[in-house]
Amino acid sequence: MTFAAIYDPIEVRPDILDAFSKIWQTIASPGNWWHGADRVAIAAECRSAVTCSLCEERKEALSPNFVKGEHQAVSNLPMVAIDAVHRITMDVSRLTKTWLEQCREAGLSDAQYVELLGIVVAVVSIDGFHRAMGLPLEPLPEPQDGEPSAYRPDAKDHGAWVDTVNPADLSDEEADIYGGVPQVGNVFTAMSLVPDSVRMLSRLSAVQYLEASDVVNPTFNGGRALSRMQMELLAGRVSSLSDCFY
Amino acid sequence: MNLQSVTNGSEIQSGVRCQDELIRFAEAAIGHDEVKITEARQALREIMGDKAVVDAAGVIANFQRMVRIANGAGIPLDKPMALVSAPMRSELGLDNYASSVNTPELSLMQKILARLLNPLVPVLFKRIAKRVSGEEKAP
Repeated sequence: MTFAAIYDPIEVRPDILDAFSKIWQTIASPGNWWHGADRVAIAAECRSAVTCSLCEERKEALSPNFVKGEHQAVSNLPMVAIDAVHRITMDVSRLTKTWLEQCREAGLSDAQYVELLGIVVAVVSIDGFHRAMGLPLEPLPEPQDGEPSAYRPDAKDHGAWVDTVNPADLSDEEADIYGGVPQVGNVFTAMSLVPDSVRMLSRLSAVQYLEASDVVNPTFNGGRALSRMQMELLAGRVSSLSDCFY
Repeated sequence: MNLQSVTNGSEIQSGVRCQDELIRFAEAAIGHDEVKITEARQALREIMGDKAVVDAAGVIANFQRMVRIANGAGIPLDKPMALVSAPMRSELGLDNYASSVNTPELSLMQKILARLLNPLVPVLFKRIAKRVSGEEKAP
């Protein structure tokens, strides 16, 4: 069983561990555009990026493009995918639309990129929680067999680098992804080109922060041991240190 | 809350209880120095207890994800937020972040409107809070 109960040094809420366990299962399964083995490899590259010397050098450089070299890869994923995983993990604030267009020219489709992004952000978040709590990282899951579904919703250009689906345009197959609310922030629609990535995001947000539908109420704290102001102070500080304008 | 504490850390008093311990934990947790993380976690644990440490670690981890989604997908700010937050973004220096280019610049008329709306923003947020919590019914 993954993410067994944790009581030491501090007891972790079981709903958090349950959500992590379900995310691990999703990562191990075939997605829309990547096989299960590819998805677990993306997770492994995400962990490898943390100690990658090229990523470290690029982070210190005035521009990441000034530093050439090879990532400390741990998989057989295409090089363009490895580079994307490492950059999202270690230097996301300096990604550009031009860079993403170059990724597409190198063979990484927009939907493959969004699926990869969804896996990376889930692993960063789950590993980040473990590091903050002083816990060892959970071993990556065993990949499941099966073919990617190649499902692509009817997404449109809404101003992001990738096409997205607005709540009003959801079809029956992804009608659930925004929890039925008529309006959500762009950060929730950002990965809607791959609906399962939004489902993973919602599952994690609900246990680590708040349900999407509760975020708009600035006094609601979801019964946490922190006030909403304390939660927002943490959120704002992490976003600021990560140079996140959004 | 004094939002300068978000961009400047503990140098600025936010008015939020246990600010120093929370900010120290957030700053440590997004790095990889295990000693700093352990010390910051312990300091927060002593002042706020175990449950708060778990919830704080959750929020920090959540926003390590959110910043990557926002910057990795190049999303613009939501239009109403872009309008009402314009003066605050300028004051906090957020417009200097590289990812600000993903949000179209406001027109002159929108900038004027944003300035006019600025004093009303706290009132608007309180009204929204009351409405979504059911304390106030929509007209």
